[in-house]
Amino acid sequence: MSRLIHIAVKDVKTLLRDRAAFLIMLGMPLVLIFILGSALGGVGESENIDIPVAIVSQDNGSEGALFAKAIADVKELESVFNIDVRDDFDTVRSEVERGDLTAALVIPGGFSDALAAGDPVTLEVLQDPGSQLTAGLWAGVARAAAANLSAGQIVRLTVTNLLTEAGVPAGAQQPGGGSPEMTFDAVSVKTVEVEPEKQIALIDYYAAGQTGMFLLFGAMFGAFGFVRERREQTLARVLASPASKFDVVGGKSLGILTVGVAQFFVLFLGTTYLFGVDWGPTPGGIIIVGIAEAFAATGLAMTLSALAKSERAIGGIGPTVIMLFAALGGSMIPVDQMPAWMKPLQSISPVYWALDAFLGLMRGGAMSTVMVSVGALLGIGVVLFGFGLWRLSYE
Amino acid sequence: MSSIVQVTDLVKRFGDFTAVDGVSFSIEEGEVFGLLGPNGAGKTTTISMISCLLGPDGGNVVVNGHSVKTASTAVKRELGVVPQEVALYPTLSAAENLAFWGRMYGLSGTALKSAVADALVLAGLEDRSKERVEKYSGGMKRRINIAAGVLHKPRVLLMDEPTVGIDPQSRNHILETVKDLNASGMTVLYTSHYMEEVEFLCDRIAIMDHGKIIAVGTLNELRDVVGGMDVVSVSVSDVSDSTLSAVRVLAGVESADSTEGKLTVLTKSSGSILGGLVAALESEGAHVTSVTVEEPNLESVFLHLTGKSLRD
Repeated sequence: MSRLIHIAVKDVKTLLRDRAAFLIMLGMPLVLIFILGSALGGVGESENIDIPVAIVSQDNGSEGALFAKAIADVKELESVFNIDVRDDFDTVRSEVERGDLTAALVIPGGFSDALAAGDPVTLEVLQDPGSQLTAGLWAGVARAAAANLSAGQIVRLTVTNLLTEAGVPAGAQQPGGGSPEMTFDAVSVKTVEVEPEKQIALIDYYAAGQTGMFLLFGAMFGAFGFVRERREQTLARVLASPASKFDVVGGKSLGILTVGVAQFFVLFLGTTYLFGVDWGPTPGGIIIVGIAEAFAATGLAMTLSALAKSERAIGGIGPTVIMLFAALGGSMIPVDQMPAWMKPLQSISPVYWALDAFLGLMRGGAMSTVMVSVGALLGIGVVLFGFGLWRLSYE
Repeated sequence: MSSIVQVTDLVKRFGDFTAVDGVSFSIEEGEVFGLLGPNGAGKTTTISMISCLLGPDGGNVVVNGHSVKTASTAVKRELGVVPQEVALYPTLSAAENLAFWGRMYGLSGTALKSAVADALVLAGLEDRSKERVEKYSGGMKRRINIAAGVLHKPRVLLMDEPTVGIDPQSRNHILETVKDLNASGMTVLYTSHYMEEVEFLCDRIAIMDHGKIIAVGTLNELRDVVGGMDVVSVSVSDVSDSTLSAVRVLAGVESADSTEGKLTVLTKSSGSILGGLVAALESEGAHVTSVTVEEPNLESVFLHLTGKSLRD
């Protein structure tokens, strides 16, 4: 057993002195997380989003102003939109064209008169073509408001007609003498409070995804070490000593696992303290998932060592397999954006299970919710390790 | 003396190819035993089976009473191995490498420290022990390679062509080291295709070709195989097959072969064939630059037994 430990210690020492490996295993993921997180960080942030929009009224009557105020006062919209009520149409239009405003709802001139006469009115929404998604949200708000307003109009005109037919004088029909009050409660919607799922910022997503992927690169360097030892005859020399094959395989696997776990901790702590990545309220769970993936990576290292006859072969096979796992697993594109036919393939990827578990814990899930993923990672590790051991050549 | 290594009818096949074909020899405790043969003769495969890296397809190896078939770990404890390649970790220092190999043989604590220090002295690298091996010259690597094989003080040291590809100075250092190790009581099995090394070092020699032992004995016993014969070495430009055939049919020529601009002829009467030999070569268009007549050596033994040069 002590020989096994000595082999593991030697492997860790030699890998830590390999600058190229160090750079790829730690430097690259940190840089990629930073770049991807910074470049895409504006979308998907967990905090309230703040889309700048405007309502501009060209109406000379009171209805336009009332309508604008009714929309601007809706509390539910505050967490999404920064609504500015304006009256300078030309300036608002230029701000939308420049992209300073995402969208603007335009209330046309004669709006009050048209409402009073029961004539149709067309509201206009100016949209920034570069922000179609968020501008579309604002257009939806405008449609909802218009529908509400239309319903109010229908009610008002119906009541007016009924009263007229009943012989009630026009002056007596509206005791207040003004327009009916604008409300958004013509149709009531019952809302059921649910626990909101925590949104994950993109830098958090990519921290999990890149960690999942780059842990597999640690496996590749482990396989490099195995094949290099075979070529340089150090493996044969170890086997010519009283060390057994169990010592050799166990020691090398322990070395790869140790490096993988250490790599995970560096990425976990590095992303937390350098980039403020929020790994969720269960760090213990995150660590268990990280160790489980490092185990799967150790199995992958054993399989790569068995399949590749040379370091050059590993240089070809290793990145191909890892990138495939990473792409299937969601390291590059979120898995929910992938086509349905790809979903069954995802289960072979350790990155998929690791990312699934990381994201679950980041969203506040309990450890029990990711046990399936942890089990899958351990299972993949056992299968890859077993295959590698079966096919491994020591000469 | 008693046999510490007994090799009996050893066979190793790789598919249809028989690399070692019924090899038998024994090594007495305290001797330097040479295994001489050209590249591909089966020397490394034989050593691999003795060191338990390869399992034999037939026959057996017994080291100090332990069979490689039934007690490989016990066999390994008796052995030190110096492989043909420099089998060291380049990013570790010499001291770290030696410590690792010592641990593989069960050394620890002060015994390990002492063994590493002694091995560094043996290699003459105690001043550079903390440098990474990748920064060493080829000769220095070879010396550490040997030191790693002997630091646990094995009873039997297996050395597989330890001087391949190094400078003469390092080569001499290694040969002297082997002499010193043997003088300290270590039994050595030394393989080489350099007959000069084997002649210099070995008490007994087995000549191997095509997976078989074709002769075993002391240097003098082997020379007696070609007793009464001389070796005529001719430096000559380009020896074609037809030239070689012409030489072989000359009267008095027992056998002849050529390699790397050198024609080697085995004869019982060198004085009477020289004139005819040079004339035959000239008539074939070959340009003779020198002719020497030597006492029989392992080269001539090999030529006599196989009809070809050792370096073919």
